[in-house]
Amino acid sequence: MSIDPRIRGSGTQVDRWLPVKPGTDLAFALAVCNLVVRQDTIDRDYLTKHSNSPYLVQGDGHYVRRDDVEQVWDTIPSSLMPRDAEGIEPALEGAFTVDGVAVRTAFQVFKEHASQYTPGWAAGMCGLTADGIREVARELDDNAMIGSTIMVDGVEVPYRPVGIVAYHVAQQEMGFQALRTMCMLMMMLGSMGAAGGQQIDFSWKVHKNYEGLDKIEIDETPNIHLNKCKFWPINSNNSSVVAKVMQDPGKYDVEFVPETAIIHMVNPLASFASAPDIVKAYKMLKFVAVIDPWLSKTADMFADIVLPAATIEKYEGPLSATDAYIDATALRIPPIDPMFESRGEIDIYLDLCERAGMLTGEGGYLDEINKALKLDDDFALPLNAKPTVRDIFDRWAKSDGTEEGIEFYEREGIKIKGPFAPTKRYGYVSDLPFGGAVHRLYGESLQVLQEKMIDLGVPEMYWQDYTALPTWRNPTMNGSPAEYDLNLIGFKLIEFKQGRVSMIPLLAELAPEQRLDINSKTARAKGIEDGDRINVESHNAVTNETRVIETKAHFRKRSDPTLSACLTTTARWPDIHGPRAKARTRTN
Amino acid sequence: MPRYGMVIDLERCVGCRACMEACKVENNTPQGAFWMYVFRLEQGEFPDTQMQFVPRPCQHCDNAPCVKACPVGARYKREEGMTVTDWDRYIGCRDCEVACPYGVNYFNYKSPKKNPYWDWKDPDVAAITGGASPGYDNPDLDEKWDTEKRHIAGGGHAKGIMEKCTFCVPRMEQGLKPACVANCPPFALKFGDLDDPQSDVSHLLRNRRSFRLEEGMNTQPRVHYFETPPKEPAREIERPKTKV
Repeated sequence: MSIDPRIRGSGTQVDRWLPVKPGTDLAFALAVCNLVVRQDTIDRDYLTKHSNSPYLVQGDGHYVRRDDVEQVWDTIPSSLMPRDAEGIEPALEGAFTVDGVAVRTAFQVFKEHASQYTPGWAAGMCGLTADGIREVARELDDNAMIGSTIMVDGVEVPYRPVGIVAYHVAQQEMGFQALRTMCMLMMMLGSMGAAGGQQIDFSWKVHKNYEGLDKIEIDETPNIHLNKCKFWPINSNNSSVVAKVMQDPGKYDVEFVPETAIIHMVNPLASFASAPDIVKAYKMLKFVAVIDPWLSKTADMFADIVLPAATIEKYEGPLSATDAYIDATALRIPPIDPMFESRGEIDIYLDLCERAGMLTGEGGYLDEINKALKLDDDFALPLNAKPTVRDIFDRWAKSDGTEEGIEFYEREGIKIKGPFAPTKRYGYVSDLPFGGAVHRLYGESLQVLQEKMIDLGVPEMYWQDYTALPTWRNPTMNGSPAEYDLNLIGFKLIEFKQGRVSMIPLLAELAPEQRLDINSKTARAKGIEDGDRINVESHNAVTNETRVIETKAHFRKRSDPTLSACLTTTARWPDIHGPRAKARTRTN
Repeated sequence: MPRYGMVIDLERCVGCRACMEACKVENNTPQGAFWMYVFRLEQGEFPDTQMQFVPRPCQHCDNAPCVKACPVGARYKREEGMTVTDWDRYIGCRDCEVACPYGVNYFNYKSPKKNPYWDWKDPDVAAITGGASPGYDNPDLDEKWDTEKRHIAGGGHAKGIMEKCTFCVPRMEQGLKPACVANCPPFALKFGDLDDPQSDVSHLLRNRRSFRLEEGMNTQPRVHYFETPPKEPAREIERPKTKV
């Protein structure tokens, strides 16, 4: 099944297309969870043994703890026990009384929480029919095969042929909780780490990982990326956020703002939102060096110096060539020497570090390379001499157990280590299942973070989604005035998956111009014909900001009448065919 | 003598257009000319909609209307069945383009010298490419092929010449598959000897339902499609740059 506002290329391969409204995936996912609970498609064994579902939760949402250890309700005999006690059989569901206090298992809390998110409720929210949502839950019920196993290379592995591929779902308001809900759904089906099911990485050690997640501290003076800041404790590095912070560091309690930047193989002005913020922020930088194969838009506007970079004519790696069943490693081997004045980036950095006095000695660039590539003592780079890049990878190859070193890769390109043993592939059957990790259904740590953020006086907008269980709220976009009657998304064509390829003229022929996909009836009702030049204006309900772009209408009969989709990656730079889309901003 | 043909699995095709690009790079085709073309089709109305992708190379018909229409024999069929154009004989009448029901012929109304991007020092081209590296200039295209040694590898990219898909004659004569087939990520395109019962194309044709385009016109194409054609009127979307 494809759950997507647009049917895309997978449309020819799926049995059903569910045209979900943009920004409402959480509502859909919660409704499916509701149904899965009601139809009892639950893998009790997995939830009890491998997740935190049995942990007891107090009325305030926190775990019941004794001596700092989470507690569960052992069913035989009925008593409170530490979660890691031997030989217990914890209750997965139910309400109990502990020292006069009413408590429930985490899974009980989740069941009761999910009961409000019915298919009828979700249908009104996410643009699907209640029957369509029920069909998803039925298909999962029919196919989950809870309790079954299958033999894989002589090892008996739990078999759950159900899974979700959810790519970029996080890129929406409440997206993190939407993705989390989908994971929780797969957890209930017991599909995590099963044959045919949801594949996960379980190779990290329990102790370090769990501690990290449960003890996230909020820094009083976060770095420029706002890691662990009171507004956004769990975040990933984002250049657009950096641009905002640079303009007003005091607002975010940030003390140190960068003065120089090396912009390496990225084109923020063309690739990241929002262009006006990037412009304002980068203008503040005192010195900008750009490493890029092309004179990118960013380089053109900001670079004090451009260091031309090779594209594939360089050594690079190691690159994982591992697929679902075979473990393999590859190295990028240059087919020709770098062209014109370009050089591989490692070459560039070796020179830069040498000039800056950072190449040699402990803590220098060479020392860092040894650590990054995990080179054995026998093969580590000496810290006092500048190597060639080929030599670096020769040492890596030998340290990795390839006697011939780099010559092997220059000849073969790829080293196939062989098929995975099932015990290394499926979390259930690894030595210590899932590496000993207890999977998180109930997210107490998120609530802990929320409480800290409230304590620090952070406005509700920032902490409202740090909840132990995914909770629907009205997306802010619904607060825009009624005249903004369409939902707008950005999309890419498969031939222009990444913005960096918009520089390639041969691909530019395939998608020469930017355009807006719009339902033909909707467009005609607005007096727009196929191919007309039009202005598209979007509204931010939180800041009341509007932005306009000029583009071309492209009729689609099969899109949702309320959906318009803007092609975001195309031949924009340099301007090849026709008018370039101009972005204008007007703030009220 | 092999009898070459192509099978295209519409159930595998995801419309990625890698075949169009592979053809373009291999054959250095001018801007707007896509000897291998992929239709992106939508059918129906929201919410009952379907998508289909249909790759369309030259069909290399056994009863080729273009061959019959050519007054000078520039367009002819090779022994293994490839329909090719000898550009030394070509006179520019364009009867082949008129005769072909598949629209696979591309005529150069003007000199395409600036179009394939390999004339990259030209200031007009540089304005388009931004001075980026030139495309691959395939030396095979200027060579003579076939037992009779004729200029049939494409079309010479000259003004007044008709060009079309050749199933990559130079690659075939070197034992390789056409560029589109070699590059298809989901292996939707297959090429081989239709007379060899062991070839994968023969094996597939024996075991699956297939159809050919415009069968009613009796052109007898060498390109077979699995499994059923689009059912209702389909609308083309996402056209590339086709006008220069």
